[in-house]
Amino acid sequence: MAEKRLQPKNVDLRPDRYDKRVVYEKCGRAKYISHLDLMRAMQRAIKRSKLPIWYTQGFNPHIYIMFPLTLSLGFESRVEVMDFALLEDLLDEEVLKALDAQMPEGMRIVSCSTPVHSHTEITHAEYDIRISADKTPAEMVEKFRDFMSREVIEIQKRTKKGTYKPVDIRPSLELISMETDEDHLNLKMKLPAGGGFNLNANVAAEAFLDMYGITADEICIERTKILIENGEVFC
Amino acid sequence: MEEIKNKLEKILLKATKPARYIGGEIGSVVKDRDKVDVRFAFCFPDTYDVGMSHLGMKILYGLKNQVPNWWCERVFMPEKDFETLMRENDIPLYGLESLDPIKDFDFIGFTLQYELSYNNVLQMLDLAGLPVLAKDRTSLTPLVVGGGPCVCNPEPMSDFFDLFILGEGEEVNLELLRLYEKMKPSNPTKEEFLREAVKIEGIYVPSFYDVDYNEDGTVKSITPNVPEAPARIKKRIIADFDKVYYPDSFVVPFSEIVHDRSVVEVLRGCIRGCRFCQAGFIYRPFREKNIDTIKNETKSLCEQTGYEEVSLSSLSTSDHTKINELLLSLSEYTDGENVNLALPSLRLDSFNEELLERIQAVRKSGLTFAPEAGTQRLRDVINKNITEDEIINTCKMAFEWGYTQVKLYFMMGQPTETDDDIRGIAELSDKILQLYFETPKEKRGRSVQIAVSTATFVPKPFTPFEFEPQATEEQIKHKQEILKSAVTSKKIKLSLHYSNTSVLEAVLARGDRRVCKAVYAAWKKGCYMDSWDEHFQFDKWLEAFAETGIDTAFYANRTRSYDEVAPWSHLDYLVSHEFLVRENKKAHLAQTTRNCKEGCSGCGIKPECGGVYCGGKKTST
Ligand code: SF4
Repeated sequence: MAEKRLQPKNVDLRPDRYDKRVVYEKCGRAKYISHLDLMRAMQRAIKRSKLPIWYTQGFNPHIYIMFPLTLSLGFESRVEVMDFALLEDLLDEEVLKALDAQMPEGMRIVSCSTPVHSHTEITHAEYDIRISADKTPAEMVEKFRDFMSREVIEIQKRTKKGTYKPVDIRPSLELISMETDEDHLNLKMKLPAGGGFNLNANVAAEAFLDMYGITADEICIERTKILIENGEVFC
Repeated sequence: MEEIKNKLEKILLKATKPARYIGGEIGSVVKDRDKVDVRFAFCFPDTYDVGMSHLGMKILYGLKNQVPNWWCERVFMPEKDFETLMRENDIPLYGLESLDPIKDFDFIGFTLQYELSYNNVLQMLDLAGLPVLAKDRTSLTPLVVGGGPCVCNPEPMSDFFDLFILGEGEEVNLELLRLYEKMKPSNPTKEEFLREAVKIEGIYVPSFYDVDYNEDGTVKSITPNVPEAPARIKKRIIADFDKVYYPDSFVVPFSEIVHDRSVVEVLRGCIRGCRFCQAGFIYRPFREKNIDTIKNETKSLCEQTGYEEVSLSSLSTSDHTKINELLLSLSEYTDGENVNLALPSLRLDSFNEELLERIQAVRKSGLTFAPEAGTQRLRDVINKNITEDEIINTCKMAFEWGYTQVKLYFMMGQPTETDDDIRGIAELSDKILQLYFETPKEKRGRSVQIAVSTATFVPKPFTPFEFEPQATEEQIKHKQEILKSAVTSKKIKLSLHYSNTSVLEAVLARGDRRVCKAVYAAWKKGCYMDSWDEHFQFDKWLEAFAETGIDTAFYANRTRSYDEVAPWSHLDYLVSHEFLVRENKKAHLAQTTRNCKEGCSGCGIKPECGGVYCGGKKTST
């Protein structure tokens, strides 16, 4: 980590600051990068790209980057968002290219634009959840229908103190579609996300599996959309 | 390999920090396996976090991968949780780049950096699905090779390796792999290949030597048993260090590792010759890179990695002949790029304040110092050429700059050490503490702490102390008690951890071939990851020693005579035996030896090795 500096070096005090928002993909090998590691990896990628990046002001300047949502370890996504700022107003296309060239395997920059919504506007996200287990897909479909027909689904949520308290997640679950293939149950769900209440797709899936004593062989989750209140895609 | 990849998909999320087990980092080299003729698994026998920080691996990884039809991959020791998952799911040890099992590779290379990682080698071979004993691996491949500082006495590991590479690897690795590439199409037997390989300088095949013992248990003779094997194997050395290969890119890990930054090697070898320090002798002579070379390497590494910190690597950076110019020139670049310049092995006394401020070489909070011994007499014995005045001056300076913590490192159990020397540690710490109180209030920091740590001295081969006994646990405990009662101030914090690992280190460092049996037996009992407190099982090691008839005292606590045949006497590390004997004698007289810069002391290194000061090329002014 960079050490504390007595004087801010190279901090550009020009007021110009051009905010950029990129949408990126995090799949394959890259899904095992934790959020903390991702932040470091992105900072380094930006540094390698030689983009005229905007540093935070102050005694310990560092590259300014913001992620509106964290993506859990192991989830894939093609709709992740990262914000940063530049000192020069470069073309979006140029920024996309420069940064994309620095992405590790499994990651790609999908688009670049000027931010429209603020992070606080995010309310929901959609997920594809794919489960293979010791039950057939048909059995799981039946169980999942039963699961969704319940009025209350209580899970034990860990509090900051380390104790557990019951939380009803049923009102937070919205099933968009349910399909099966040879060995999988494929769910498309909308769950609360963002600064308010967040429900992790893994927690929802585990709640289902636990309730019916199903042992999963593999659970694959992909975030497919990040949404704001009115159902529009966050951008 | 798809099969391993699919299996990994199912278990990775159950492991802690899974990004360490799947590769894909920036800078990692992925090639088309069908277009590759030589595959090399570079194994670091410790966890990813430790191994990925290691510079030698980065150099040799880049070096081999420069050759288009060779592919070198990285392999580390998995943490125990992941190892269990691998075994449960029948996943053999694999290379991080291809995810292919390493048992199918041409070479499996281990770097032996410290004795406590030895058993991880056995564990990793086993995890790869290979027999750990070289004699049980009868086919040509994989060839299990070893390098690194510990191979200056690889005898306690000789049963497990096909060959060792002595000295610096940049040239000899290429020669070895070229030979293999040339011979491979003719399908040689392992022995046929090894007989050719020993013709390369620096290649040591332990099975080509017979060791005889005297009745008292010491080594009688070590003799080659094939005509190709030389009587003595010389370590390799890079004479033109400024031109040596250096990677222009590093693999940049996702998860945080021990040293997470760019590293540029500025010099190799050390001019100082502290008598306990193995690195100070086995890396001789002192060679350095030109400022422009260092600057270019720094620039390309920073650009390729995106790291925000670069560190200069060496045994003693201050000894670079143009250190001030170097630091000014480097800081010009790093300042402009918002990169922090870290200088871990800098002697503070060699700089003026202004330069230090400018390059911000050290953290404001803490100063680290290794006087190693508490009295001037003992510092003279160990040839730690630092006087009390120098220590005092540096600490004074540090307190005036507002430092609040001084960390002091000492060794216990050094030759000729008396109780007075131990009390000297307390006295020196106290003097430093008083300096803080004498510093004007407006200059000094608000509080102060002197942290004193002691480690047990482990005698190492190819040092003037290779003849010396290691202090017993009882003796060390006694010394610790003395130190405890001699320290009175609460501002002085002692950490006097005694670890049985130092006994193990002593046996493994100076052991002969018979120790292999104990290593094997201990491994069978489940000993590995010995450098991790939570995994170290000394009782199991003691059982293993007892069962295999290895007397630890014979190896650790015995004074060896100058004419005893050392288990490593067939290995030539260029520093002469006569010099080590001379240095040992001087130690017992508490006489110091000047450093190479002050004047050559005739350690036996030839001028052809490229040393800056060897052969009277330069003398001090
Ligand atoms: S030959 Fe002389 S100058 Fe060279 S390393 Fe040995 S003592 Fe130092």
